[in-house]
Amino acid sequence: MEKMKLKLLYSDLRPELEMIEKELEQAVDSESLLLNDASLHLLQAGGKRIRPVFVLLAGKFGDYNIDVMKRVAVPLELIHMASLVHDDVIDDSEIRRGQPTVKAQWNNSVAMYTGDFILARALEQITEIESPRVHEILSKTLIEVCRGEIIQIKDKYKLDQNLRDYFRRIKRKTALLISSSCELGALVSGTDEKTAAHLRRFGYFIGMSFQIIDDILDFTSTDEELGKPAGSDFIQGNITLPILCARKDPEIYTMLKANLNRDLSNEERLTVVRTIRNSSAIEEAKAMSERYLEKALRELSFLPKGQAVKTMRKIAFFIGKRNF
Amino acid sequence: MKGHQIQSKIISMEVEVLDAVRQRTLDQFTEGPSVKESRLFFLLLPFFDGKNWSPEIESSAKTVSIVYAALHAHDQVREDVPIIKEQQLTVLAGDLYSGIYYQMLVNSKNIAMVQRLATAIIQVSEKKTSFFETAIRPIEETEEAITVIETELLISFYRFYNFSEYAPLAKQTLLYLRYADELKHLQSKNYTHFLRELNSNLVHEIYTEHWLMEKLDSLHRQILVSIGDCSLDHELAQFLLHQITPHQHRAEQLTREG
Repeated sequence: MEKMKLKLLYSDLRPELEMIEKELEQAVDSESLLLNDASLHLLQAGGKRIRPVFVLLAGKFGDYNIDVMKRVAVPLELIHMASLVHDDVIDDSEIRRGQPTVKAQWNNSVAMYTGDFILARALEQITEIESPRVHEILSKTLIEVCRGEIIQIKDKYKLDQNLRDYFRRIKRKTALLISSSCELGALVSGTDEKTAAHLRRFGYFIGMSFQIIDDILDFTSTDEELGKPAGSDFIQGNITLPILCARKDPEIYTMLKANLNRDLSNEERLTVVRTIRNSSAIEEAKAMSERYLEKALRELSFLPKGQAVKTMRKIAFFIGKRNF
Repeated sequence: MKGHQIQSKIISMEVEVLDAVRQRTLDQFTEGPSVKESRLFFLLLPFFDGKNWSPEIESSAKTVSIVYAALHAHDQVREDVPIIKEQQLTVLAGDLYSGIYYQMLVNSKNIAMVQRLATAIIQVSEKKTSFFETAIRPIEETEEAITVIETELLISFYRFYNFSEYAPLAKQTLLYLRYADELKHLQSKNYTHFLRELNSNLVHEIYTEHWLMEKLDSLHRQILVSIGDCSLDHELAQFLLHQITPHQHRAEQLTREG
């Protein structure tokens, strides 16, 4: 339902997004029936398509040509998909977006090869673009995203990490790819450098806000809304902002420490979730997300007024207030 | 070129590849990148054989080796293991190596090679997945799949730089080494996806063993012919043959025992 609302926000991009959707389907076409099935399974599970949307919107500030824009928008979504299918192996996740994951439907190996295949398709497509700058940004982003995930695993179950570690991690994990989507969209449409820099920063701030909200929702949503058990981050040892805020209370700290890195019964899991949910941590984390949102909106104020800015602002507000 | 010079160049390339992908956490928790000497030998073969070689080609050769390491890391991911750091980081190691190969080629302004390797990775991934398809296929298709998995990246590199004259020799040797490894796995009852498929296709593992030994014999003969076709100098030919000799002895021994 909420996803529908988000899609309504960028309804003026509907024809282009329908085209992108078809291109995505074609991109994962394979002579291997199994790879084809696994990739389509992933694709049809849906998603917000936030990265292609930002590529297209950023392109509106330059010489917008959908045939050029799609050559960046499609690979960026493919890169995101490839990382999701591998993330599900990393987290041993059975369900994503309410659907069985590729690893659950088939197995870990098929998930690994599906991710490799999709990433290779993305690189095969984006290398049609000759601009070295595009590839410098994208290759750096890919490496940083991986480093972020490696650090996340290294920092798992470490309740005593600091806020800076968390922000650096989510920057790499989420914000960079959204930021790059905006910057690459700007670059391939030939915008000036100043506009591209504002768009890049907008993407970065909105990405940070987006991830913080995601981390909050892991505690405030129901299992049904999330399509996975609430509190999954805590169960998997991912120390997110709500946990970092909540641990300031000595009682909660002791409870978190006692429940970290052990098998929790359903009741114990729900107790952790309720404790975080009822603490001041959620409001604190929301305030931090809000600050990033404000920074994102400030970047938009430097851009030429028009429909693209309006849509970006609406998406930014929506991300800040979303509850899915 | 003398044998020790060949060996020294391979080692120096291996060190450079390992340096390029080094990451402290991965070094600590994973088995590290797999950089096989035999692949490095074939990547460097045109250089050893006196072909026109440049820093750009050498850098590309390194990236091919990194792609092999990336894909190999993902082969190490196991089924039905609990969430453990090693497995999680092995997934990420493969992804990180992929980012590194892309960045290295971007830095040397070789976008066309990124595309060529991406196409090869697609083919390799398709063939790897084919071992999980339920439909039974002819043994020739299994062989074709294993050939692509072992050699497609290298052959793409050869095609890109017009070194295709080495392709038959490289294919035969890399396939030889793979079959020799599979034979060892079979002997120790450590069944790979490839062996399971051969066993079910050939009905019994005794036939799989014979099939592998026949392949090894036939590939060995082909390798000798290809060495002649490529007119490799004596030292280079000896170095190559030395790589397959231990396996050959094992195959001969098994033939006698069998």
